[in-house]
Amino acid sequence: MVQFIPFLPATGVDAKRQLFFVVTKGWANPRCQVPNPLPCTAIPKIMGSMTPRNHQLDTSIEIVTPENVSFRYHVAGPFRRLPAFMIDVVLQAIVITISGRMIVFAMLVLFGVSGAFLGVGFYLIFAFVISWFYGGLFETYWNGQTPGKRLTRIRVIATDGQPVSGLQAVLRNLLRAIDCQPLVLYQFGLFSALMNNRFQRLGDLAAGTMVIVEEREWFQGILRIDEPEVLRLSQRIPPSFQASPSLARALAAYVQRRLAFPVARRVEVARHLAEPLARRFGLPEGINPDHLLCAVYQRAFITDTPGDVLEPVKPFQADGSSASSVPPGVVSRTDSGESPFASTSTGEGAKP
Amino acid sequence: MKVSDLLQSRRKDWSELEMLCLHFESKRNVRREPERLTRFAALYRSLCADLALAEAYQLPPEVTRYLHRLVGRAHNQLYRSREFTMSTWASTLLFDVPRQLFHDEYLRLAFFVFWGAFVLSAILARTQPGFTAAVLGAEQMQQMEEMYETPLSELTQQARGAMLGFYVFNNAGIGLRCFAFGLVFGIGGMLVTFYNALNIGTVFGHMSTLKQWENFSEFVTAHGPFELTAIVLSAAAGMRMGFALINTGGLRRIVALQQAATQATPVACVGVILFVMAAMIEAYVSPAAIPYGYKAGVAVLSAGLLMFYFIGLGMAQEESR
Repeated sequence: MVQFIPFLPATGVDAKRQLFFVVTKGWANPRCQVPNPLPCTAIPKIMGSMTPRNHQLDTSIEIVTPENVSFRYHVAGPFRRLPAFMIDVVLQAIVITISGRMIVFAMLVLFGVSGAFLGVGFYLIFAFVISWFYGGLFETYWNGQTPGKRLTRIRVIATDGQPVSGLQAVLRNLLRAIDCQPLVLYQFGLFSALMNNRFQRLGDLAAGTMVIVEEREWFQGILRIDEPEVLRLSQRIPPSFQASPSLARALAAYVQRRLAFPVARRVEVARHLAEPLARRFGLPEGINPDHLLCAVYQRAFITDTPGDVLEPVKPFQADGSSASSVPPGVVSRTDSGESPFASTSTGEGAKP
Repeated sequence: MKVSDLLQSRRKDWSELEMLCLHFESKRNVRREPERLTRFAALYRSLCADLALAEAYQLPPEVTRYLHRLVGRAHNQLYRSREFTMSTWASTLLFDVPRQLFHDEYLRLAFFVFWGAFVLSAILARTQPGFTAAVLGAEQMQQMEEMYETPLSELTQQARGAMLGFYVFNNAGIGLRCFAFGLVFGIGGMLVTFYNALNIGTVFGHMSTLKQWENFSEFVTAHGPFELTAIVLSAAAGMRMGFALINTGGLRRIVALQQAATQATPVACVGVILFVMAAMIEAYVSPAAIPYGYKAGVAVLSAGLLMFYFIGLGMAQEESR
């Protein structure tokens, strides 16, 4: 009954959630879980309030802005938040120990022994403020980020997409005291995060906040194909050709992922779409289906004349923040490494 | 128009917006640069339009993903967190919180749990000989007895500053933990409150049977009102959150929790402020070598302030509405 249907390696599809989904809702075909209200109402309400979850298969959350456009965020899961948390804990420990010694020493030098005692008092008050309000204050004044979150590029926002308010930031950090129970290993928080679809720990639930990934990505242009066979083949497709939306999506998805497959597999996948297309354009039999799809892609997305293609944009190197961005070389992902296989016929070269 | 031409024409704007995002992300005060800000807003709006039309333009998925991320990034720079302002916090703490507490049944519950357990354990500790040892343990009992053996006037006064910090760190920490534990369906908060009351009540009851009672009572008089009220307040704030999960008032549990938590957080903050005031009194007034009358005066004054806060401010709001 329960059947796991593997997806294409789409970015952002969280394998754990997918698995969880298939295990808990195996009776529904996971392929049908596009936002479609009809199956949700038709399903008997076994899961109670969990039914709306069917809308969300991966970890993305849709937000409608005041500009009336909806965009998607990826929610940060426990393992994305752990490094940020570790950084913050280490930072707090360092600040508390170093500043404590400095305060006590300074007071000792300035006011003698009784001053040193007062220094210990200040130090303890400081430690109290840091240990309870560090997250709350940083998230308020740094727009939802602590130093650790900033380094790991995650941010706290309200669940409706608005920025976090000071009250919410303080609240979600005060409730860490319950989240980290029972053994200061965050079992409560982890359990709570795994039980809802926004990875909210108890403090997040009470404050109505969530942690999202703020990915920086530099614009890379669209994928080009440099293979000469493809460019030659694209000349034989009429320049006025307009791809339908679904065909355009399929072509883009195929071209983006084809390099992950061995040549024989590419041919096998591409044949289903390439054969009707070849008939439509009146092309002879025996054309490599992989090349044909690439050629159609070339016609549909890139300029009418071959060779006139986008140059890759140089990513900005300000403050060294382009670490997560893809290096520029990726843009012109050519098949040069595999060209001996690509140029041969379909029979051999199944393993690259 | 082919996609590549479209991208060619739009990429300049997108890159400029990327740069502006980078600029604003590292800046605290963005209001100082109106030209950049207006340019940013214009670019952001056009980016939103591009994203909305991405489907119609038949952009490839990776470009759409890029647009989603850039809109998200710019959105977070345009809509920034609301910071604390003194006036809103003052009005919340001085007017909203007392009015809310005046009608808060959980404050009454916390009050009765705390004082009920306190009085009960004090009576038990006074009358039943084995009770104190069972609650506190022999070691802590002996520690307490030794601590109050010397009269207050003979204490070393140097360590007061350190004690101030210790009282804030320890007591306010207990209060906040009490608040957080309230989230567990209110039971956690009740247990913590009960445990604290049991401990404190037992110490009171036990001390009253000993010769150290005079030193002890002189020490605890001045800061008692603030400190004990602060514990009750923290517990009540926690219970408000926890019981909202049970008594939802017809809302979804999660919504009820969020509403209650929003109301309870300022109460917990009042608790912290009371703990800090109590710590100051405990460090500098309670152990001082001054006549008992002054300390009693401080206690009466702080009790009066609390009365004014809870009843005076709570009622005044009631009439003005």
